[in-house]
Amino acid sequence: MFGSSLVIGDDILDIGSHKFDAGRTDQRAIGSGAMIPARLALGEPGQFDVPDVPDPAHFCRNNFASACGNGDQGQSVKFAKGTTTLAFKFDGGIIVSVDSRSTMGAYIASGTVKKVIEINPFLLGTMAGGAADCSFWERNLGTQCRMYELRNKKRITVAAASKLLANTMNSYRGYGLSMGTMITGWDGTGPQLYYVDNDGTRLHGRYFSVGSGSTYAYGVLDTYYRTDLTVDEAIDLGKRAIYHACHRDAMSGSINNLYHVTRDGWVKIHAIDVNDMHYEYLEEKRNAMASS
Amino acid sequence: MSELTNPAIGADPNAPSGGFSFDNVHRNALLLQRQFPSPHSSDPNASANANSGDRSILPLATKTGTTIVGVVYKDGIVLGADTRSTNDTTVADKNCEKIHYIAPNIYCCGAGTAADTEKTTELISSQMELLRLNTGDGQSRVVTACTLLKRMLFRYQGYVSAALVLGGCDLDGPHLYQIYPHGSTGKLPFTTMGSGSLAAMAIFESDYRDDMDEVDALRLVQRAILAGIFNDLGSGSNVDTCVIRVDGTVTMGRNEIRPNEVGPLRDMVRRSDVLNMREGTTAVLRSSFVGRSGVGVSMADVTVTAMET
Amino acid sequence: MSILEYNGAAIIGMAGKDCVGIASDNRLGIQYQTVAMDFKKIFKMNDRLFVGLAGLATDVQTLDQLLRFRMSLYELREEREMTPRVFTNLLSNMLYEKRFGPYFCEPIIAGLDEKGAPHLATMDLIGAQALAKDFVVAGTCEGNLYGMCETLWKPDMDKEVLFETLAQALLASVDRDALSGWGGVVHIITKEGVISRELKGRQD
Repeated sequence: MFGSSLVIGDDILDIGSHKFDAGRTDQRAIGSGAMIPARLALGEPGQFDVPDVPDPAHFCRNNFASACGNGDQGQSVKFAKGTTTLAFKFDGGIIVSVDSRSTMGAYIASGTVKKVIEINPFLLGTMAGGAADCSFWERNLGTQCRMYELRNKKRITVAAASKLLANTMNSYRGYGLSMGTMITGWDGTGPQLYYVDNDGTRLHGRYFSVGSGSTYAYGVLDTYYRTDLTVDEAIDLGKRAIYHACHRDAMSGSINNLYHVTRDGWVKIHAIDVNDMHYEYLEEKRNAMASS
Repeated sequence: MSELTNPAIGADPNAPSGGFSFDNVHRNALLLQRQFPSPHSSDPNASANANSGDRSILPLATKTGTTIVGVVYKDGIVLGADTRSTNDTTVADKNCEKIHYIAPNIYCCGAGTAADTEKTTELISSQMELLRLNTGDGQSRVVTACTLLKRMLFRYQGYVSAALVLGGCDLDGPHLYQIYPHGSTGKLPFTTMGSGSLAAMAIFESDYRDDMDEVDALRLVQRAILAGIFNDLGSGSNVDTCVIRVDGTVTMGRNEIRPNEVGPLRDMVRRSDVLNMREGTTAVLRSSFVGRSGVGVSMADVTVTAMET
Repeated sequence: MSILEYNGAAIIGMAGKDCVGIASDNRLGIQYQTVAMDFKKIFKMNDRLFVGLAGLATDVQTLDQLLRFRMSLYELREEREMTPRVFTNLLSNMLYEKRFGPYFCEPIIAGLDEKGAPHLATMDLIGAQALAKDFVVAGTCEGNLYGMCETLWKPDMDKEVLFETLAQALLASVDRDALSGWGGVVHIITKEGVISRELKGRQD
């Protein structure tokens, strides 16, 4: 079934570290895993292994339907999905706040997923859509950013980093990747926030929310967002927006992870169980009603 | 006409008039036709719930993926069945009864949709009783039960999905019929039905002989059911048998063999003390007690919302 | 997604010593959007008989109304309460009558019979009965519920242990199911009366 060289090595988790097999350059892509070519040009179509069929994009769409947003039902391979993530810029930097639930259909597969991906000390990415697609391509972005630093002797801008990811997504358009991410960081131009998804969309903005619970989070953000929030107020807003999304959206929940991006890079602020927040806010509501 | 004889007076307007009700059919067709909003392709904002379209959203009914058998012997009939009922891949009932009563001298094994086998045999059983009362004949004929069953199943064109093994003894001796969901029947000396029918038939085909005695016939049936229990995933648990003799006596062997008894195995497992729930483990928000026919309002009490006028 | 999963539910019926319990979650959702956290899924038919209905919410409420009507009529005519066994047959026949246009509902029946012994039953949406001596489950996390009940249940639990077991089985199950949860309710039916308790459950 597989070619002379195995695509995935002995350690199945060790994707991305395999040496390029020179004997394979002229072969059609076989197998199902990922490999890193020696010249580190991942992101160009054909470098990431695709099914050995006449139309790989069509094959992916039909056989990995859920990764294209068509639902998991009736499909043997179920992808981990369902998320609320948000990020916003304000005068004190950027807040990135996410939940930690992963669902496969109605089943809650995990409650402790790290949906903020620490690309490097100055760059954060968020995870929505396919967990594997997000973590793989954002790690890949990390290597590309490091190569940029080594070549140019300066840090990459958030604008350029997000564009690298958007270009990668664009080159695999229609193949069934699923990724909705926010790339944030602090560079020479100050705090920056970009939204990138698998369609190749790349948007610059003040605040975004991505995932199945994003509508609920937007409701809170639209109401309370100001640019002149203090850091404490901003943290509270990020926390509240995630809480409300987790409360109403069945596919979001568990732990709220919150990061603050400053001039000196990102800092992890907290990891709080949203269920504790529920009772905290309930108490707050009661007190407010009692005092008024 | 007195109140007692006039069915129109005091009749329950909601009481079923008999037969199936198709009231919900139109509504359900609309419900099933309606595709739940399908998220836009590749949209990570969309929840991954939507129906992929290639699988029906119609719920599955409980089936008896079954092994049922019947055999004629010298002095009567032996019927056999396993006791597993399944809902998709879940075992819905580990010890159900698949040998149904039709008449004192007739029993029927059912395979297929659980509700269909249950209700079809129930219905025919009551028709047989009425027929006995009307004809003044003490004994039902097996062929009558077979005809009633096949008429019912043929009328519903296989949509009532019951595959049956009907056996009994009347004044003409022992009779064994197999009845398919579409209404076709066969009169045979030995038969098997259900998903385990192949496994069971293998036993019958190798070891069946004409004019066996009761001990041999019963043993053969047990072995056939065990073959189904062990070799067919849709069948399982215990062996039920039923011996109907020409002299009119019947012996129901409910759970005659229990090859899958988990009790002793479970007792061997040391139960962790963590699994013993202590009082006060659960956080309770509100608690109430309502004495039998006493005062107080239970949380489950009926709350009637007045009609808005 | 099956139509039985449209609104989400988790219901357990469990037998103890001279008592029987029934528990459900509180969520009403429209697919993955949670709409209410106080939706009633367990209905009292009489002092010793409760029924839990899992499935499409509109059919849950319709069936409750139909059952209440039939129960009242029976009590008026017969001048006695319906036993759980009779009730199970009544509901089974009501569901099978609609064999080809079913109510999208899976019931759980929990009650004490004439002798005060536990009666537990469940059926599929077209009325195929399954009687049990230990526990019965229904809802969107049936697999989880089966797993919890198989591990936690033991014979001859008294009413307090039965409550804790039911509550823990329910809460643990719904915490792994996206479509049910948001608190729960447990009713323990004893010869003396009914204990009802609202559970504090996760709100996500």
